[in-house]
Amino acid sequence: MTAVTLRAPARERPGIRPGVWAASITLALIVLAAVAPGLLTHGAPHESDALMALQPPGDGHPFGTDAIGRDVFTRIVYGARQSLLAGVGATVLAVSAGTLLGLLAALGGRVADEIIMRLTDVTLSLPTLLLALLVLTITGPGTLNSIYAIALYTMPSYTRLVRVQTMVIRRSGYVEAATSLGLTRAWIVLRHILPNAFAPLLVLATIEVGTALVAASSLSFLGLGARPPAPEWGAMLAGGRDYFSVAWWVAVFPGVAVTLTVLSITVVGRALQRRLEGRG
Amino acid sequence: MYLTGRFAPPALLLTTALALSACGTAAESDTKSTKPVSGGILRYAVNTEPSNLDPHASPSDITAVFTRPVLDSLVSLDPKGGVHPWLATSWEVSPDGKSYTFALRKDVTFSDGTPFDAEAVKANLDHVVDPKTKSELAAGLITPYKGTEVVDPHTVRITLSRPHSPLLSALSTPYLGIQSPATLKLGADALARKVVGSGPFVIDAFTPRQGITYHRNPKYAWPPQGAAHAGPAYLEKLEFKVLREDSVRVGALTSGQVDAIGSVPPVNVSQVKADSRLWLETRQAPGGNYNYYPNTQKGVFSDVRVRQAFRASIDFKTIIGKLYFGVFQPAASPIAPSTFGYDPGTEQLGGYDPQAASKLLDEAGWTTRDAQGYRTKDGRRLTVRWMFVKMIAREQRAVLSEQVQAEARKAGIDVQFLDVTPSNYAPIALRGDYDLSDYSWQRVDADALRDLFASSNIPNDQGGSGANASRYSNKDVDAWLDQTLDTTDPAKRVELYGKVQRKVVEDAAVFPVYTFNYVLGGAKKVHGITWEAQAYPSFYDAWVSAP
Amino acid sequence: MTKAAPRARRTRRRLRAVLVRLATSLLVIWGAATVSFAALQLTPGSVADALVGTSIVSPQVKAQIIADYGLDRPVLTQYLSYLGMVVRGDLGHSYQLNESVGTAIWAQLGASLQLTAAGMGLALVLATVLALLTAKRSRWIRGVSSGAELVGTSVPIFWVGILLLTVFSFQLGWFPAAGGDGLGGLILPAISMALPVTALLAQVMREGLERALDEPFVLTARARGMSDAAVRLRHALRHALLPVITLAGWLFGLLLGAMVVIEQVFSRQGLGTLMLGAVTGKDLPVVMGVVLLTASVYVVINTLLDLLYLVIDPRLREAT
Repeated sequence: MTAVTLRAPARERPGIRPGVWAASITLALIVLAAVAPGLLTHGAPHESDALMALQPPGDGHPFGTDAIGRDVFTRIVYGARQSLLAGVGATVLAVSAGTLLGLLAALGGRVADEIIMRLTDVTLSLPTLLLALLVLTITGPGTLNSIYAIALYTMPSYTRLVRVQTMVIRRSGYVEAATSLGLTRAWIVLRHILPNAFAPLLVLATIEVGTALVAASSLSFLGLGARPPAPEWGAMLAGGRDYFSVAWWVAVFPGVAVTLTVLSITVVGRALQRRLEGRG
Repeated sequence: MYLTGRFAPPALLLTTALALSACGTAAESDTKSTKPVSGGILRYAVNTEPSNLDPHASPSDITAVFTRPVLDSLVSLDPKGGVHPWLATSWEVSPDGKSYTFALRKDVTFSDGTPFDAEAVKANLDHVVDPKTKSELAAGLITPYKGTEVVDPHTVRITLSRPHSPLLSALSTPYLGIQSPATLKLGADALARKVVGSGPFVIDAFTPRQGITYHRNPKYAWPPQGAAHAGPAYLEKLEFKVLREDSVRVGALTSGQVDAIGSVPPVNVSQVKADSRLWLETRQAPGGNYNYYPNTQKGVFSDVRVRQAFRASIDFKTIIGKLYFGVFQPAASPIAPSTFGYDPGTEQLGGYDPQAASKLLDEAGWTTRDAQGYRTKDGRRLTVRWMFVKMIAREQRAVLSEQVQAEARKAGIDVQFLDVTPSNYAPIALRGDYDLSDYSWQRVDADALRDLFASSNIPNDQGGSGANASRYSNKDVDAWLDQTLDTTDPAKRVELYGKVQRKVVEDAAVFPVYTFNYVLGGAKKVHGITWEAQAYPSFYDAWVSAP
Repeated sequence: MTKAAPRARRTRRRLRAVLVRLATSLLVIWGAATVSFAALQLTPGSVADALVGTSIVSPQVKAQIIADYGLDRPVLTQYLSYLGMVVRGDLGHSYQLNESVGTAIWAQLGASLQLTAAGMGLALVLATVLALLTAKRSRWIRGVSSGAELVGTSVPIFWVGILLLTVFSFQLGWFPAAGGDGLGGLILPAISMALPVTALLAQVMREGLERALDEPFVLTARARGMSDAAVRLRHALRHALLPVITLAGWLFGLLLGAMVVIEQVFSRQGLGTLMLGAVTGKDLPVVMGVVLLTASVYVVINTLLDLLYLVIDPRLREAT
């Protein structure tokens, strides 16, 4: 037993690990599907054929067909755009708004800081998905509305991060030097603070894209996000579960797609994080 | 000056009713135990629940299933449209058709001890039409209702502002079921959770999102004519469980967690049939099929040729057959074949014919095509805006709509789904700001046609059913429908209903889609579940054999 | 005395933080109530339309609905009366359910508590076991375990729920399909719910454990001849649990979200089902009620945690 304790702590090996490679390649394929689905499949996502309904995976239909004879593989490829767009869209929105509010809180004086940070506290103390549901009750369901709802509850963490980063950087030597040189505040923010706050923000955002993607597909699954016939993975899953007993492929492949996407985003995000923290 | 001799139902009808209810008994497959046993519990799973248990107020059909065990009606209806005595022993209709006098049973008490009498009937009908009740369905069944007069403690007279031949069938439904007048006074919130009647069962508790439990009414001795037995129900307890997810409901049945389920999903029908421990039975729902209703008033579908082309370009027969595994039938008429007044002549009209569709669209001027292959006219694309409420769509209707969209695309028609939710549906319907609408309109008889196609029922804020989403207005059809109200002669009504059906199908004022079947699945030990005229299960004759 | 002074100061600071949190929570409730009230007024389509739903009703019925819900009063009056009700703890009357929001929530609370408690309990046990078994082990054990944790956090729980239900209930028949009937019906939903939480907790706890195992006092214990298992259980675990307590509030939020989805997948009754029905039907009083309730619980939990720190803070913080 003592041998175990006296061993040196496990050390991270330098270089890019094979898992990260695999994740990067998967992610690249998913992005390709989102950008140019036509390169991966010849079918059209809405093309249906009643006579080809619920065909098992096989020739011509690698993932089988759904209840009205649409090719599941084609729909998953086209669904990549929908799903990534929801994940990335919500995150970009949250990062932009969060950054603005964070800067405002850090540089806009005590009153602005108090108001923004209390509002942030308020948002943070509401359970995430329930907050999204509250927003969707008011706005009504839909892809865009679900993106707004997710952005709203992910925003506070960026606000906090940017605020803290900005305050740290503002007190650092080079910004003080810049101020003493008589540069305007806007210039300082643009030239010095933002670039420095950017890296940690990017890392957090990358990892959060995965979380936002799952949230968006959950909302679609509940019938509040993207709606059929849009080839969105969560919505496909919701539609496919009724056929599970006779056609497992309709509900299994969209789930695999969500999991793989989120997994590769997380792995790549963490690799970025390690690199940023000088550990990788 | 009343027409006499009409109040007693013809003997012939009575016998057919008895025969029918005998074959209506669900799955008497277990031959060993054909003698009903008293006692035991039956657990039944349903796919939906009413938000309000008071059938006088509730907007949802499912209220009928939940309240039938506790509520009796004045009369009962058989699937052929025959009316039979229940709480009323006989009735007569005045020559002008505006007044109905009912003689009531004298031996009936509500389960809370209140005696059933003429005052109770009056209190109930007045409650239905009271604006405070906010009735969203029941009051629509008796629109010409003027008032109820208590002639003597056991005779009651209902007066109408105009003749209304569907009155008796309306009175047979649970929506106009008779509740204890004492509970009617407790207010809407109390009624929404507990309804007290004179029926074979008494509600223990209704827990929304979970279910409802009943116990047997031991004093019950007044079943409708046609029931398989007399006296109290066999079951000691009856329990409905709400299991919304189709797969979960089927799983609960196959694993023995419940004894029977309603709405077996078509995809699972063969699985349940193949299971030696289970039985399966279907019953066609009468009234309006699940149909698509084109807006005939404005937009692309105001041109009859475009309507006919749309219908001809979609192979409903194949699509319905495949999607519902033959469990629901493709429809030809706006109403189901099981409805009294159905016209089989409609089956020859309006089939799938893509060539004819293409020709019709050319004739209508939609000759050019745009880059995406959609037909255009004067630079405008042939777009159909569908008021589809995806959020509450059931029975794979959303999947069906996607398939119809894909089929229409092949014909060069661009089907777009409007973003409609339950909360903005009514305003859009009132404005008529849509090209296509869809719903089913299950009713006990062909009077559903009047709701669906009389010009007075075009959605407006002046009243009416608002069910004429086709916004169809045709003087002949209006006149025929009015005549159906005036006559109580079945042959005459069948003829008039037939004319209406053929006319609206020829005019493509409706695209019939499928006929809904209530699919009941149960364990072999469950016997004697019968069918209401509206194709809902009834549990009065049901019993459970020892395992 | 010299040591007591900073401790008192720290206690004061903590107390102040608790007070600020309480003030914030009031702000939360007021803010949430105000925002949704305002938004409801601004959304297209009137409240009365939402109340009517898809049936076309007569003008009399509509007028009655408007009168019943006081929708004909000036907006400010409606707002103030709503706030007044919230202050009194009255969450109002549901637009759809024909009962008060309080009654509706109360009826669903038990089922949801059962589910979340089962999910949380399961996650805690599993995560602890995983962390104890894998902390400071050989590289491949940690690799497999962290890989599994990664998958656990990435997989959508509704999908897990559907798969579990299909395999273990429909195919194998080990568990009842529909929940609500005792323990058997709780197992599959609790597992689906616990999965992502377990994965996250296991990561956090392993890190905590590994840090603790590097501490000098562990070495001392081992030097005294204590077995590895005993060291992990009796010394290191306590320290590993500390970060979990900090995460409790956040975990609560996560579980609530999972609850909505899981109740839907398993056709269970509960707050999530109530909420979802209300969202679909635009039943704002119910949505508000659930949100306000959970926000309050959340605030209470966090305040309790702050107070808990007041008790355990000085020694534990210095020890770690």
